[in-house]
Amino acid sequence: MASITYSNPREIDNTVDVPGRRASLITGNQTFSSVTEMVCRVAEAPQPAIWYILFGFSSLTALMFVSLIGYLILTGVGIWGNMNPVFWAWPIVNFVFWVGIGHAGTLISAILFLFRQNWRTSINRAAEAMTIFAVICAAIYPGIHVGRAWLAFWMVPYPSLNLWMWPQFRSPLLWDVFAVGTYASTSLVFWYMGMVPDIATYRDRSKTPLRRFIYGILSLGWTGSSRHWLRYEKAYTILAALAAPLVLSVHTVVSFDFAVSQLPGWHTTIFPPYFVAGAIFSGFAMVVTLLVPVRSIYKLENLITLRHLDNMNKIILATGSLVGLAYATEFFIAWYSKNMFEGFAFMNRAFGPYWWAYWTMVSCNVISPQLFWFKKCRTSPLIMVIISIFVNIGMWFERFVITVTSLSRDFLPTSWGYYRPTMYDGLMFFGSFGVFLTLFLLFCRFLPVIAISEVKGVLSIEAHRAGNGHGHH
Amino acid sequence: MSAHKPQPAAVEKPKNFGWMAEYTDEHSLLVASRKVRDSGYTKTDAYTPFPVHGIDEALGIKPTILPFIVLTLGLTGLLAALVMQIWMNAIDYPYIISGKPMWSIPAFIPVTFETTVLFSAFTTFLGMWGLNGLPRLSNPVFNNPRFDRVTNDRFFLHVDASDKYFNRESVKELLAGTHPESLEEVIEDSTPSKLPSIIWMGLATLIVASLVPAAMVANMRAGNSEYPRWHVFFDMDFQPKKKAQSTTTIFADGRSARPQVAGTVARGQLDEQDSFYLGYDPSKVVAGEAASKVKLVSAQEEQKAPSLEVPIEEEAKKSAESAPALPAAAAPSAAAPSPAPGSAAPAAAAGPNLPWLAEFPVEIDADMLALGQKKFEIYCTVCHGYGGDGDGLAHRRAEQLQQGYWLPPTSLHEQRIRDQAVGNIFYTISRGKGKMASYAAVLTPKERWAIVMYVRALQRSRNAKIQDVPVEERAKIEEVKKAE
Repeated sequence: MASITYSNPREIDNTVDVPGRRASLITGNQTFSSVTEMVCRVAEAPQPAIWYILFGFSSLTALMFVSLIGYLILTGVGIWGNMNPVFWAWPIVNFVFWVGIGHAGTLISAILFLFRQNWRTSINRAAEAMTIFAVICAAIYPGIHVGRAWLAFWMVPYPSLNLWMWPQFRSPLLWDVFAVGTYASTSLVFWYMGMVPDIATYRDRSKTPLRRFIYGILSLGWTGSSRHWLRYEKAYTILAALAAPLVLSVHTVVSFDFAVSQLPGWHTTIFPPYFVAGAIFSGFAMVVTLLVPVRSIYKLENLITLRHLDNMNKIILATGSLVGLAYATEFFIAWYSKNMFEGFAFMNRAFGPYWWAYWTMVSCNVISPQLFWFKKCRTSPLIMVIISIFVNIGMWFERFVITVTSLSRDFLPTSWGYYRPTMYDGLMFFGSFGVFLTLFLLFCRFLPVIAISEVKGVLSIEAHRAGNGHGHH
Repeated sequence: MSAHKPQPAAVEKPKNFGWMAEYTDEHSLLVASRKVRDSGYTKTDAYTPFPVHGIDEALGIKPTILPFIVLTLGLTGLLAALVMQIWMNAIDYPYIISGKPMWSIPAFIPVTFETTVLFSAFTTFLGMWGLNGLPRLSNPVFNNPRFDRVTNDRFFLHVDASDKYFNRESVKELLAGTHPESLEEVIEDSTPSKLPSIIWMGLATLIVASLVPAAMVANMRAGNSEYPRWHVFFDMDFQPKKKAQSTTTIFADGRSARPQVAGTVARGQLDEQDSFYLGYDPSKVVAGEAASKVKLVSAQEEQKAPSLEVPIEEEAKKSAESAPALPAAAAPSAAAPSPAPGSAAPAAAAGPNLPWLAEFPVEIDADMLALGQKKFEIYCTVCHGYGGDGDGLAHRRAEQLQQGYWLPPTSLHEQRIRDQAVGNIFYTISRGKGKMASYAAVLTPKERWAIVMYVRALQRSRNAKIQDVPVEERAKIEEVKKAE
């Protein structure tokens, strides 16, 4: 078997491009077999102790979440703090939060693929998995927020004998059902399709018949035939071309949930681009938060190099600044439109009873990513994890500020109120992280965390470009 | 089975699927592939751990039709979504939401887009596997034990035995000339190609078990049950609350509906004290009497007899003094300058006897009269006719049909109507009378007063004297008269 180089990637700084010579995307003089070896070890070698600790913790948290959903369904949504006038409280905040996080995976897979950004190959698989798990967490919330969760299938346009009517297709809430449903299923097939050649690698390395059987079924009899690769690559390109507008449409439609209503602070045309930028921002932050520990626990520093993290941090900086610009634009338009209610809504956000949420949002989302202007922060794993956690805190608060401040104080002062969450709001939000982490840990344990075949493709191109074969001789 | 078909010669020995050469890098594979292609072999394939650039050209692989299938199915999804939404929201169950038209295409765009993507994505996914002939549970290429490294770091070139130029020895020679790492013959799998029966039985059991819930639902749908409906949430279907007109033990008086709290005003309650909304002067009814009581009494009186003997002015005054429960017919003190000849209700008019307003509580001007005419023509003429003679279209149609039970609409020129105070007519429009329904829901109080004004104008037009006409206009009327 091929030897693996675990040399410190710091020795080769691939975050700088020397003019005339491209820095390599993966470090440590890798060969095809060493790439296979490095990725397959993640699932084949015994899991480190930290995996068991995290899995125990996250699966218990997920169990708590599932039990609380049961309690919620048996008791009713009254266990939450949702109360007049804020009926769209944490469930919707959490939904938008998770859907937003679920944007990075498909963005990395599809848009970076179409732009021929080869550095995506090391991170796209984990990011896509994260997308699926985040969308699962997101989809739970509207499902249980409808009150009678067992009737949620009424949103599907089917000839109903109970209702004798159809869903209302002029409502953004129904658009949302279609957008999130399409996004979840398309992301799932995109993820699975990309994984099939790598599952075949797992199959061919399996030592036990059971593993070989299960991976054999999952890999659909993949042989790596060039005729298959041709159609596969064409299909991948088509899916990427479909997923690129899809990923932009999903958060656009989510923003329509707010923007199509007439509430001050929601009824703005800036919402679609602003939401999409925020979604990419939070999604990339979550990818960084997950991948930095993953690469160090599973010793994948040569595949997920500092250059990859550096690139992602640059995107976080760019989208964070875009989000900051959107905050400023909202304020400007509120003043410039001379609309009394709009003006009040924004003054109320910044200086009203929820001022603490607003300024948490601004400091986490606008100020903290500015540290990424410094290369030291962009290339230090510890600092980037801290910043990306702050970014995700800020993005949760952004959705909280948008949802709660506008609802709690709208046109009529007599119907104003102050929203207070209950214990169940907090526990269920925490519990959704348990679901997310459990799924992600299972993914690391059983499925290829890095797109092995795509990394080999990049390796082949780089070796070809260097003109000295691929280092296998 | 056709008898003309030649029997396959390879029956006696294991079937040969061709030769397979192994290479350690993609460049050797490309060189070998070109060589094989140039030798004229077409049933060839290369197996690689990643898509090798240039292999399609080197092997002569043709482009795929997958994009066109995706385009077709994508357009199908687009059309299906549009037709579905238009059918559901504009044709089968049409309703207007937020002022959008029935065919509100812009509002249908998001779902159309998502459905197009959904159809295209699944076509791409399923179409790719279908064209590739996957999933495939068994494949002879896996018989080569070295083939396990195809998903790791080895590259294989395969020339199939079904190629028309295939010759075991010459292909072996050709491939051996490309310096492969190894060269193996692909032979038929000796293990049975059928799935073990236990897997089939397991699958069959699963399929049958999965049909059970659907069968139960179908059975419940089609059949009857003697049990009452199952309430998932009993306290949602039967909420612990008191309905109107029910009793309770919570309050001493036993009533679940609570009386108005002292010192509060209900919505619309103040209107009940305003003659503009009533047509009569509530302050003159009986001091201290609640308006609701007046209503109750008047309703009772109405029930007694339509030709109730209306007490004359003096009697009404007396009764007002003696019996506070009875409404008094108070005569307006001022003589009416209005077209109404009689001031209050001394005439034999049916209905409640209330202190009717004899004067309009609104400004009398040409605008009001025009409004009255407009509203009269919209709401009243269908029965009462344009002239108020009770010969509207509804009446004429009923006569045409010779319906015996038809009660003709009242002519507004009858003496008893002419004698009614304006407030009384207003009251009739507001509350309805006999077969005539209340028009309070469709006409504002101001519009109702305008109609009363127009009715008065109609009545006067039949009984006017030449003195009523302004002096400068009289000559015109004289001219018409002469012409006749």
